[in-house]
Amino acid sequence: MNGHCNGKISNTVEDYNRNEKKCFGDLAVEMKKSAVICEQEFSRKKTEDESRLPAIEAAYSIILRELGEDTDRQGLLRTPLRAAKAMQFLTKGYHENVNDILNDAIFDEDHDEMVIVKDIDMFSLCEHHLVPFFGKVHIGYLPNQKVVGLSKLARIVEIFSRRLQVQERLTKQIATAVSEALQPKGVAVVIEAAHMCMVMRGVQKINTRTVTSTMLGLCREDPKTREEFLSLTMR
Amino acid sequence: MSPDACVRTRSENPSPKLTPQVPSLCAMERALPTQQKDAEATGELNGLFDAMMRKPGGRPGQAPPAQTPAESTPQPTSSSSSCSVTESWREDRTRSVEDNEMSLPSLATAYTSILRGLGEDPLRQGLLKTPRRAATAMQFFTKGYQEKIIDVMNDAIFDEDHDEMVIVKDIDMFSMCEHHLVPIFGRVHIGYLPDKRVLGLSKLARIVEIYSRRLQVQERLTKQIAVAITEALKPAGVGVVIEATHMCMVMRGVQKMNSKTVTSTMLGVFREDPKTRDEFLTLIRG
Repeated sequence: MNGHCNGKISNTVEDYNRNEKKCFGDLAVEMKKSAVICEQEFSRKKTEDESRLPAIEAAYSIILRELGEDTDRQGLLRTPLRAAKAMQFLTKGYHENVNDILNDAIFDEDHDEMVIVKDIDMFSLCEHHLVPFFGKVHIGYLPNQKVVGLSKLARIVEIFSRRLQVQERLTKQIATAVSEALQPKGVAVVIEAAHMCMVMRGVQKINTRTVTSTMLGLCREDPKTREEFLSLTMR
Repeated sequence: MSPDACVRTRSENPSPKLTPQVPSLCAMERALPTQQKDAEATGELNGLFDAMMRKPGGRPGQAPPAQTPAESTPQPTSSSSSCSVTESWREDRTRSVEDNEMSLPSLATAYTSILRGLGEDPLRQGLLKTPRRAATAMQFFTKGYQEKIIDVMNDAIFDEDHDEMVIVKDIDMFSMCEHHLVPIFGRVHIGYLPDKRVLGLSKLARIVEIYSRRLQVQERLTKQIAVAITEALKPAGVGVVIEATHMCMVMRGVQKMNSKTVTSTMLGVFREDPKTRDEFLTLIRG
């Protein structure tokens, strides 16, 4: 019916897991551990945002004063509140859980060619300087009878990027989330970003870009698969 | 056209001059906020439009400390904006390196409470030194408060018999939005018509640095740069165009990735003579 593999998927997945367990499965378990640790390190409920706002606002008032600004001037009157809300928005990924957004958008599909969603705009905050870094994320995966709604890949990027991040960790978290949700044959994630902490301060190199990648499963083991992904994304 | 047209006209009739009389060719040129609208005055730290009267009838003092409200003596309201512009240019308050050192612990503490307020663990490895790094970064992003225009420019003004337009374009600019404390970045294009005096070219970029490394509003930044050059060189005209991306619009709020904000300030012949303005705008576009 419509080419779907209804009823045959579970056998296929079990076979795959039995055969591939030693390489991909173990790798996925290790990734899972680090992802779990990261998730446990911080959590924030949306309902707590309101109650935490005054403290963040007060901190920003102090910051403005210590920078030598006049907090009573018109342009800065509501800046502590705005900055606090902005910061909460920029770290809203802590509210969100991958399972919540993915659960109903995984479909059985007899497709075993690479699926790529590229040029996903990403905005994150450097956890070292609290300064933005932004760029593009390219995600590719080799489905194993299960595909995910395409926008869900972008939502996964949003969840993990709207946090205090390090680009390497962000890349890995996205790859792990996709591999856990779909158990595909392989996942590849590449992020290319500009870090304002390097552009606006420090070495002040305006045109530098940082590229990180995570390859799992076939995308790691098979050079041709990796090559296909890279040539389709990094033109 | 009088060589001093730009300056004389401004001091004689400041308000109309600073209000655009011809439509700007750029996307945005907001007129000076009216004195009534900006009646709540401020310190002079970032001069210009903030150095308005706190109370009606008052005016900002000569060199007020940044953190106290401006003292007021009665002055006509129409001249307060231009007076404040020139005063602020000459008497920019400076924050010193020692001030920076002394503020660092409180800044770091404030950032620690921000991290906690966001639900993060300030004791995890990646965040251990973040409060201090963020504090130092923020001091760097506002280092324009430590610098004076007069120090940068005084010895780089040369007498030169040149009366054609001088343009320095594509000056990279990084600033901080004063409303959300989020970066703004873009490019500044500066042009001026010298009147026997020219400025070292890199000094134009240094003026941009001084004013942009502050908590800013793009409109004010544009005007401050233009006024500083006018005051220093008294040229026949000055044009400044800034095209920038505001992270407060891109990363949050409306989240429009590709939006750019363009502001311009045209003074002297750049404002009065459409052909001069046209030449400037064409040359910066090319």
